[in-house]
Amino acid sequence: MKLRDIVIRAARSLKQAKARTLLTSLAIAVGAFSITLSLAAGAGGRAYTDQIIRANTSVDEISVTKASPDEQSGPRKYSVDNYNPQMSFFTGDPLTQQDIDKILKVEGVVEVLPSYDVQIKYITSANSDKYTASVSVFSPSVALKYAAGSVDGGLSDDEIILTEEYVPALGFKDNQYTIGKTVEIVVDKLSAPIYENKTKTFKYKVRAVSSESGLAFRSQSSLLISNNSAKNLYEYINIDTRGYGNFLGASVHVKDAETAELVKDRLMDMGYLAQTSADLLGVVNTFINVLQGILLGFGVLAILTSVFGIINTQYISVLERTQQIGLMKALGMRRRDVGRLFKLEAAWIGFLGGLIGSGLALIVGTIANPYISKALDLGDIYLLIFDPLSIIVVLLGLIIVSVMSGILPARKASRLNPIEALRTE
Amino acid sequence: MIEVKNVTKTYDIKKNPFTALKDISFTIEDGSSVAILGKSGSGKSTLMHVMSGLDKPELGKILINGKNILDLKQKYVDKFRSKTMGFIFQSFFVQANESCYDNVGLPLEIAGVNLSLRRKRIESALEAVELQDKIKSRAKDLSGGQKQRLAVARAIVNNPKILFADEPTGNLDSVTGSVIENLLFNYNKKNNVTLIIVTHDSDLASRCDMQIHIKDGQIESIDKRKKKK
Repeated sequence: MKLRDIVIRAARSLKQAKARTLLTSLAIAVGAFSITLSLAAGAGGRAYTDQIIRANTSVDEISVTKASPDEQSGPRKYSVDNYNPQMSFFTGDPLTQQDIDKILKVEGVVEVLPSYDVQIKYITSANSDKYTASVSVFSPSVALKYAAGSVDGGLSDDEIILTEEYVPALGFKDNQYTIGKTVEIVVDKLSAPIYENKTKTFKYKVRAVSSESGLAFRSQSSLLISNNSAKNLYEYINIDTRGYGNFLGASVHVKDAETAELVKDRLMDMGYLAQTSADLLGVVNTFINVLQGILLGFGVLAILTSVFGIINTQYISVLERTQQIGLMKALGMRRRDVGRLFKLEAAWIGFLGGLIGSGLALIVGTIANPYISKALDLGDIYLLIFDPLSIIVVLLGLIIVSVMSGILPARKASRLNPIEALRTE
Repeated sequence: MIEVKNVTKTYDIKKNPFTALKDISFTIEDGSSVAILGKSGSGKSTLMHVMSGLDKPELGKILINGKNILDLKQKYVDKFRSKTMGFIFQSFFVQANESCYDNVGLPLEIAGVNLSLRRKRIESALEAVELQDKIKSRAKDLSGGQKQRLAVARAIVNNPKILFADEPTGNLDSVTGSVIENLLFNYNKKNNVTLIIVTHDSDLASRCDMQIHIKDGQIESIDKRKKKK
């Protein structure tokens, strides 16, 4: 007997017991529903964290700090290195120019940028009040959302990226109008005595205005300038202070993501603490994976329950159709084909259940996505991502599970004695 | 040619042995019509099952065209049955919820006949039993006589060499019964197909070329009215 005929015959038999088929497959549908949703939530969650990390760090960047000295009880011994009244909150040792030179020599390192901790006094423009602001270094590989203008390649040393909220504050008409206008940043020289205050004004042209994004931690509140500009500000502010030349950390740029891992290992060997964006992603994703695993577990449990449903249904089906099986065997249908017929019926039930469950999950997820994003304030990011491949895998998996649950009833059918089955009196 | 040689079949060998067939031997020529007669429990149905390979006797040989089907593996017996035999049962065994087309198509599906050939064969089989206008009707909407005609169509659709009929008119009134009888004997004559009818109806049996009377699992007598050669 041809497989095609068996498949069609199996489908036809199920059609004749519609209610039973539907109810049995609904049990599977429950499992398929939760599995599909959990896979979608996992994929969405990972994509979300990936975007967050990408919006704030880049894959070819390693953040480096000095490893904290071994933990010891009692007071720490004084050394010039750990005396740092300007960074008293920071317990570890700072990075010095020496460290930076050392790191720069490590194989694979392209650039070492110390994190210039720039505390500006205020920002202002030609006709506006003064505002406080935090300033960070622009990194071309970090994804930004622009409300106006854009930055391709690098940011020049006389340019700045504003955030949207500073546009009206600094007296500009709108985002687009702001591009090319000049803003002034005023900084204090810390080493100057308080009665002899020294300040300097740095002028920048607005290159772009970044818009608020649900992803960014840093870029949404910080104004961004080039590394050189930050260095210039830092030099002016900190020169002649005790903290000058001491950095909380540095960001080490390497060629690509693969070298990042190698360089990270080398830096760790040298006694630095190094973290790539992949590490950061890994920590968050572990959390997501655990949550997804729990959801998935419920789905698998539901499938396991439905397996008994299939076995039961198929046993009843064999009993009901004893005569039909007898006839088919009398007409020369092979045992193997009879078994296949019942296994394929089970496969149809699994396929149908999977289709109903995954389909419902798809519909519910698509409808719920905007509401979830709104409730969690995710902006334009959807938390449930349905991968067609994973849905296909779920369907195939359910078919395999169903066929396996159909094995026992199918064996019973294939072993039926046609003479017994056709005895009507 | 079908040769049955020294066939013995015993049921329930361990607990309560019952010998259904005792040392049965006879020969059936190709294209003849044969009636196997006997009361219920005489073993006539068992004889049919044994001859068609549905049941296996402990002793003896069933030679069909010189080949002992009892030596074949079950797989090949099944294949042999689907290619060369047709069956008609007292209770029709048509699938009530399936269309006439699907009912008649079942043996072709089992034999693995190509899809392109099926429709033509099913149509001509239904034509032979004058049910061509019911091709799309469900079997449950047919009358008893029509159901048995459908069963005949199913039995002949694969052009069998041997046609087994187990009490084919047992559930029918005499008028519809004779329609079925005529169908079977016409088919037997026209296509030179061996027709083996299990029955206790002596009128039906008298239309056959050969009558094998079974009693208590043994052959009581064999009557041959005319020889076909």
